Amino acid sequence: MFLIHCPYCDEDRPEIEFSYAGEAHIARPQNADAISDAEWSEYLFIRENKRGIHCERWWHTNGCNRFFNAVRNTVTDKFIMTYEMGEPRPTPEEIEAARDDD
Amino acid sequence: MLVDQGLEIGDTLSDGCLTVLLVSERTRYSLRIKAEDLTAFNLESGLGLPERIGQSSLTEARMQLCLGPDEWLIVTQPDLDKGLGAQLKRLSDSFIFSFTDISHRNIALTVQGSEAVAAINIGCPLDLSPEHFPVGKVTRTVFENAPIMLLRTGEDVFHLECWRSYGPYVTGLFARYAKDIEMS
Repeated sequence: MFLIHCPYCDEDRPEIEFSYAGEAHIARPQNADAISDAEWSEYLFIRENKRGIHCERWWHTNGCNRFFNAVRNTVTDKFIMTYEMGEPRPTPEEIEAARDDD
Repeated sequence: MLVDQGLEIGDTLSDGCLTVLLVSERTRYSLRIKAEDLTAFNLESGLGLPERIGQSSLTEARMQLCLGPDEWLIVTQPDLDKGLGAQLKRLSDSFIFSFTDISHRNIALTVQGSEAVAAINIGCPLDLSPEHFPVGKVTRTVFENAPIMLLRTGEDVFHLECWRSYGPYVTGLFARYAKDIEMS
């Protein structure tokens, strides 16, 4: 069973308890009525779709019911680290330090 | 065997190594309060809510279960434990919290016996060894396709709650497993 570390439960839990919730660190524009349609559609639809290290949201649906952020390698599918909502995106150095040879 | 029969209070699916009982009606409350207010809230209310996710405080009349960083489920015996709502209402001026009666959302099963862990593990991927899931630990998780809440009340005794609509499905799975044991 594939295990994911939930930062709130502070436990490795089975993957089927979790739901994927898209790319992380995408802030909703505060001036939604002032920006153009193109900018709005960029916010809504345009994602990095990265090959490699990717910051993304996960939801511990059948657990503590909290959203959290994770850094995952989309090539190997390995989770490098998970962190609580509201914490800043880890720096490349932090990610590199947390990475084992994946 | 009760696979195709209805759900009755006190159903026993198999003797000895596995017993699954439907727990009589309980009163259930969902309590949400910010984690930073918990210490003061415990002091004022005298509830003694557990502070960490997965912890529980259990008495005969009441189970207090911490399910999330700001979420507790309180399960009470309706005839032994009354007046919790009135007790907390007087705190509504000093704290921001929500306290909701969700008694009828869930049913509860007691799963016990030497085969209890094996029976739950047919549909639940958690490690239920005593080191990882000691007595008193509680969590929401899954059982086959049903979301459940699992609490260990004894070495071979579990309190399992699921939504009422999942009841026949969950008990049916236990019934099938009990049949497998009897045949083997």
